[in-house]
Amino acid sequence: MSEPRILEIKDVTKRFGGLAALKDVSFSVGKGEIKAMIGPNGAGKTTMFDVLTGILKPTAGEVFLAGESVIGKRPDQITKMGMIRTFQTIRLFEGMTALENVMVGCHSRTGAGFIACACRLPSGRREEAMIREEAMAVLKDVGLHTRANEIGTNLPYGQQRLLELARALASKPGIILLDEPAAGLNQYETGELSSLLSGFRDRGLTILVVEHDMGLVMEISDEIVVLDYGELIARGTPDEVRNDPKVIEAYLGIEA
Amino acid sequence: MDKELARPLDTDKRDYRTLMVVGAFILLIPLWAKFIPGDVLHMDIVNLMVLTGVYACAVVGLNLLVGYAGQISLGHAAFFGIGAYTTAILCTHMHWFPTWLGVIAGAVLAGAVGWLVGKPVLRLKGNYLAMATLGLGEIAFILFQQVKGLTGGTVGILDIPPLSIFGLKFDTDLKFFFLIWVVILVLLLVSINLIKSRVGRGLRALHSSEVAADAMGVATGRYKAQVFVLSAAFAGLGGAMFAHFQKYINPESFTLALSILFITMVVVGGMGNIWGGLVGVVILTFLPSVIQALPQWIPGLPHGLSNFSNYELVLYGALLILFMMFMPKGVAFGLSRAADYTEVRARHFRDRQKARKMEGR
Repeated sequence: MSEPRILEIKDVTKRFGGLAALKDVSFSVGKGEIKAMIGPNGAGKTTMFDVLTGILKPTAGEVFLAGESVIGKRPDQITKMGMIRTFQTIRLFEGMTALENVMVGCHSRTGAGFIACACRLPSGRREEAMIREEAMAVLKDVGLHTRANEIGTNLPYGQQRLLELARALASKPGIILLDEPAAGLNQYETGELSSLLSGFRDRGLTILVVEHDMGLVMEISDEIVVLDYGELIARGTPDEVRNDPKVIEAYLGIEA
Repeated sequence: MDKELARPLDTDKRDYRTLMVVGAFILLIPLWAKFIPGDVLHMDIVNLMVLTGVYACAVVGLNLLVGYAGQISLGHAAFFGIGAYTTAILCTHMHWFPTWLGVIAGAVLAGAVGWLVGKPVLRLKGNYLAMATLGLGEIAFILFQQVKGLTGGTVGILDIPPLSIFGLKFDTDLKFFFLIWVVILVLLLVSINLIKSRVGRGLRALHSSEVAADAMGVATGRYKAQVFVLSAAFAGLGGAMFAHFQKYINPESFTLALSILFITMVVVGGMGNIWGGLVGVVILTFLPSVIQALPQWIPGLPHGLSNFSNYELVLYGALLILFMMFMPKGVAFGLSRAADYTEVRARHFRDRQKARKMEGR
């Protein structure tokens, strides 16, 4: 576990008025690992994602991505730094084909601006060809290449989830944050997702995942952190966490 | 195999092909307008097409802003007016000032004002943005009226010299027609390029979901400001051309009615469809003349229709409502669906032929 840390979260606190959604939460994610963040509804998981990706500013604390602070940066800047997310509710771009959706995912690592695009300069055209090719390759990775030219929001639900994943992967992120990627998937689809994610990990991708499907979490995670009422109450391997009394209490209520 | 499946409908090339066809068709209008004498149609086609072109400058840009980036503006008459007044003031107060440079200055100044206003205003969304831009239009209108030293107040500016570029004077409708439509074709080319690019995808993405676009690394704030500036500059360019064509301007030309007209053109033609803007401008610019000519075409119609201008806002309002309700994607959407359909049919036909040939061998 001496992998270099790609993401370091230090004492992050987020208050909404009097309510503390996150209280001094610290943990880190090592390069090439799958870390799961679990906890009952309202534990602060999505708030943490929003803080990490620049949508919310923490009340206190620090977040470092590959040694660089992300606090105060805009979401698009953080994406450029190599951390990208998916959403709990699917947010594909309307009216765009699957391929175009994934091509937007390449945005953060390409640079053609207004002038270059409006004048169709050679540099922009070369980049466009490259984006198209790479986006197609990513679609193939998740098995959606046959549907490249269909409108993304017209795909079946499970495939929309995969498309969101592909869109995020297209940015070639250092770390990807998945917000309930298995929500609404059937057992078969969840299984597919599980092997897909393990495969990406084996190819060097770092993943921080929030998920309610415990089967999936236990199967793919290298380590799990547990939040409850905004506090980190446990961390460890899937086996450790599964048997931790505090975790059992948080999920099942106080045992007599 | 994969390549085959990934083969997109060739809309890429189609837009450029359409541009060529549309360009050729429009530039030939004066020719066939000669064969249909004006006193049959009771309207001056070339003159109307110049006006269409002038408005099209603004509408093509506005469509990028409204249709693609999803940001509303109810104040684009302001930029149109800024373009018009800039060149009019420069070229009448300083007679030596080259008119072509005045037009460029008009576009640049409109863009600059767009940048100044757009930065803060574009943080607003939906209705709030509509209100803010509405205010912008009103402020500009009042300034045109009240800064009398520069703008001539309600009288406006008279005797604006005709546009001349390197000694070539555009002092007739026909000459101006060619100039303005070459300009439009360039603006259309630029717009198509933009939409088909990384930036165009970014704009469409932020239209759909700003949060998701942000998360994908699209600098949404900057993109919105940039497309606002671009649309303001296009409108300014149109306004400047308008000033030199009409040779006089006054504040009444740049009221809320014009902003509404621009939006109506975009909606009627088709939001988020580059050809939509164009179709909308043609329809709505010709509409008043068509309505006025109706009594001459169809004997027995009351002549009361000829004071149409009193009712034009009513008509635009009604059109906006009807299109929003029944045809929110505008006229051009239907046209592009038809084009998609023919292309799919054509591809099937080609594939069948290929298959037949293979079998033959």
